[in-house]
Amino acid sequence: MEISLIDAAAQGFLNILHLHVFLAMLVGVSIGTFTAVAPQGLGMPLVYAIMLPVVIRWEPVTGIALLIGASSVSAVCAAYLPVLFGIPGGAGSQATILDGYPMGQRGEARRALGASFMAGGMGALIGTFTLALAIPAARPLIYLMGSPELFVVVLWGLSMVAVLAGRRPLKGLIAAAFGLLLATIGQQEQSGIMRYVFDEPYLLDGISISIIALALFGIPAALDLALKRLGVDQQPAPLTGKLFDGVKDTLREWWLVVRCSFIGVWVGIVPGIGSQVVDWLAYGHAAQSSKDGGAAFGTGDVRGVIAPESANDAKDGGDLVTTLLLGFPQGVVTALFIVALLAWGYLPGPEMLKKSPELVYSVVWIQGISAIIGTMVGFVLANQLAKLAQVRYSIMVPIIFLFVLMGSFSVTRDAADLLTLVVFGIVGYFMRRFGYPRPAMILGLVLGSLMERYLYRSMASYGFSWLTRPAVVVLLLLAATSFFFAVRGRMKTMPKSAASGGPALAG
Amino acid sequence: MLKKCKMKSRIKIALFSGALIALLPNISYSQENFYAGKTVTLVATTAPGGTGDLRVRGMAPFFNKYLPGNPTVVIEYISGGGGRKGANHLYNNVRPDGLTIGAMSGGVVGLAMMGEIGVKYDPAKFIYLGTPHHINHAVIYTRADLGLNTVEKLRARPGIRIGGQEIGHVSYTAGRLLAYFLDMKDPKFIVGYSSREVDVALMTGELDGRANSPTSALRRNPEWLEKGIMNWHAILEAPKGKTFPRLEHLPEIETFTRTAGEKRLLSLWRSLRSVGSPYILPPGTSKEIVQTLSAAMVKIFKDPAFPPYYQKLVAEEVSPLNADELTKIVTETPRDEETLSLLKKFAGAGSLPSR
Repeated sequence: MEISLIDAAAQGFLNILHLHVFLAMLVGVSIGTFTAVAPQGLGMPLVYAIMLPVVIRWEPVTGIALLIGASSVSAVCAAYLPVLFGIPGGAGSQATILDGYPMGQRGEARRALGASFMAGGMGALIGTFTLALAIPAARPLIYLMGSPELFVVVLWGLSMVAVLAGRRPLKGLIAAAFGLLLATIGQQEQSGIMRYVFDEPYLLDGISISIIALALFGIPAALDLALKRLGVDQQPAPLTGKLFDGVKDTLREWWLVVRCSFIGVWVGIVPGIGSQVVDWLAYGHAAQSSKDGGAAFGTGDVRGVIAPESANDAKDGGDLVTTLLLGFPQGVVTALFIVALLAWGYLPGPEMLKKSPELVYSVVWIQGISAIIGTMVGFVLANQLAKLAQVRYSIMVPIIFLFVLMGSFSVTRDAADLLTLVVFGIVGYFMRRFGYPRPAMILGLVLGSLMERYLYRSMASYGFSWLTRPAVVVLLLLAATSFFFAVRGRMKTMPKSAASGGPALAG
Repeated sequence: MLKKCKMKSRIKIALFSGALIALLPNISYSQENFYAGKTVTLVATTAPGGTGDLRVRGMAPFFNKYLPGNPTVVIEYISGGGGRKGANHLYNNVRPDGLTIGAMSGGVVGLAMMGEIGVKYDPAKFIYLGTPHHINHAVIYTRADLGLNTVEKLRARPGIRIGGQEIGHVSYTAGRLLAYFLDMKDPKFIVGYSSREVDVALMTGELDGRANSPTSALRRNPEWLEKGIMNWHAILEAPKGKTFPRLEHLPEIETFTRTAGEKRLLSLWRSLRSVGSPYILPPGTSKEIVQTLSAAMVKIFKDPAFPPYYQKLVAEEVSPLNADELTKIVTETPRDEETLSLLKKFAGAGSLPSR
């Protein structure tokens, strides 16, 4: 007998009101928090792969509580590495470095962490709320986006180089072009041609974006501290801001949180875009849409923390929309979640929604409650974590190097990863020194392969006729308008911000 | 005197036999002793998470259970290059001491045979222990709204857009083989999708058809068969003769072959696909260790707890092959240059060869 969605939502909630379910959720939240706070190397895919053989023996709701509890908070707590050490906290938290790290260096680590946890928690709740609402109507949204539309969206994303280039548009273009060039390394999907591989197995799949991001941001941060601060000033700036300041900032910027959360949800729902883009899209949107043309972004503007963190956390809700309602996983973690559902006898997709809607809503409830618990845990930890910002530079520098080395080696566990790290660390150092914006290069690298893929697919399937598709036309107009206003805003504010605008962006 | 001699030789034989009997438990004890308290590393050529990883995780606890001495079993991930990185590592860097076992993706054999770049190992020199699965069929289907419900209609329609992951990917090559033998007219192979994205692109009309494993296709979208949302055209069985339930009505692609060379091509493909996810040892591993590990694999496959555990974790049927069966497939795979170069054309990007 089929039940209404409201009854299913109520039943889904009742299903989680058991002590063992709550305990499993708390264990999951603890694991997720540890995964986010621990040094790089223990990613959520590996955690899922380890937990899966255990949880598939449990009854479904308890198992779901553990899995979703872990994955829903791992993004909430991911900001501490970017804020305190200037190194990426994983895919989806890279853009947080741009403003989070300068805030940390100014002694505002508590404020930055408060903003990131609050924005993350709000983003996660918006994502969950969207998931609940999307259950009856997600399918048309997914089928609206074909390769041509995705190409335009990625092109739109690349236009954000104009923002990320700071005061040096030419250097921004050069950096983005270098990123695009790096994205071509490896076997080309469409032709099978090996590009810049030199018969070297290490390069067959291209160079990992995670390693390049760690090298570009982590190594220069550590070198900068080592060269400039160790000999002169042993103590970093004292902690000034409060955790609650960040909360207030986030509440004041609630509309930005909502917009960026929807960007996150949308990236989560649409198959193929991926988590490595979400923070950059949100960051670019925040900078483009700010009244000052984004001039303060990159100098420690709290909006530069709020935007990527809210989008990154909201994305999980979007991921689940596609995973639960269509059975399409958006990444390794959701793919493993589907494996667990199959093991329990559920086939994710329309059939599951029809036959077991209460289980779908149990997932929604668990996702929402875990996000709230995760945010609270984040607040509790934040004050303690923020104290790391006061660690003497002579201790901080080796810690950063250790994290960066562990993070890079964990990607493929190949000794060549360390060589790549050193090479791109040097590249990053000189880019920073000579004012070439590293974010623009990362954006080129992340979006390069996506652009190539979607353009090829569009041309192969539709020829040039894809340019006349209504959704493509609308998106192109939106992208052009957004680009125009961003450039105009930047030109207006350029003289005023010439002295201080965007050092982090510029380098 | 003679009696005395006989007595002496009997005593010698008895002493020798006694010593031998006494030694036997020591041999088995030494095996147990060898692995007891040690760590066995499974080198997985896949990234953490994903089906490949789950296949290894589906086996790992059983290695612990059936290896003498119950050693700790850990997984080391060396992914990349479609398994080439891990295979290179196993072949060139790993000590053949029985403590490191390769948990490979099936592609490592085919990549080497076709002379792909980045291969720094010889698959013939690896020692094969077995595989938990070896049935890897492929089926081709198109959107029902195109109305191609017979082979004749399929052949008559030019430029059918067939989606796939990447050049050289298993389902891409299988799709090209199926299209070739079905005499499809100028099919267009469009790659750059993930497997699930191909499904979405089919539903949005961006693509017309695809080739896929029937297990995956029907697990994800059972309604595509039940409600006739797709038209199903032909199946390529690997190995031949193991029919797929629910698709028994489809013609096996070999029925469309015309020459002995075409049959050899299919035979090569079936062999390469039937390798499954092989467990292998580096060359130079001692016979004693190989026997111990092969015996453990046999015990794993015979354990009634193994199939349900593996199936639950991987969402895939178990179809194991032991060391001898797997080695036979690898050694008997046809290696004539002509067939290999023909298969390379199907795995590559160019247009399909003419028949």
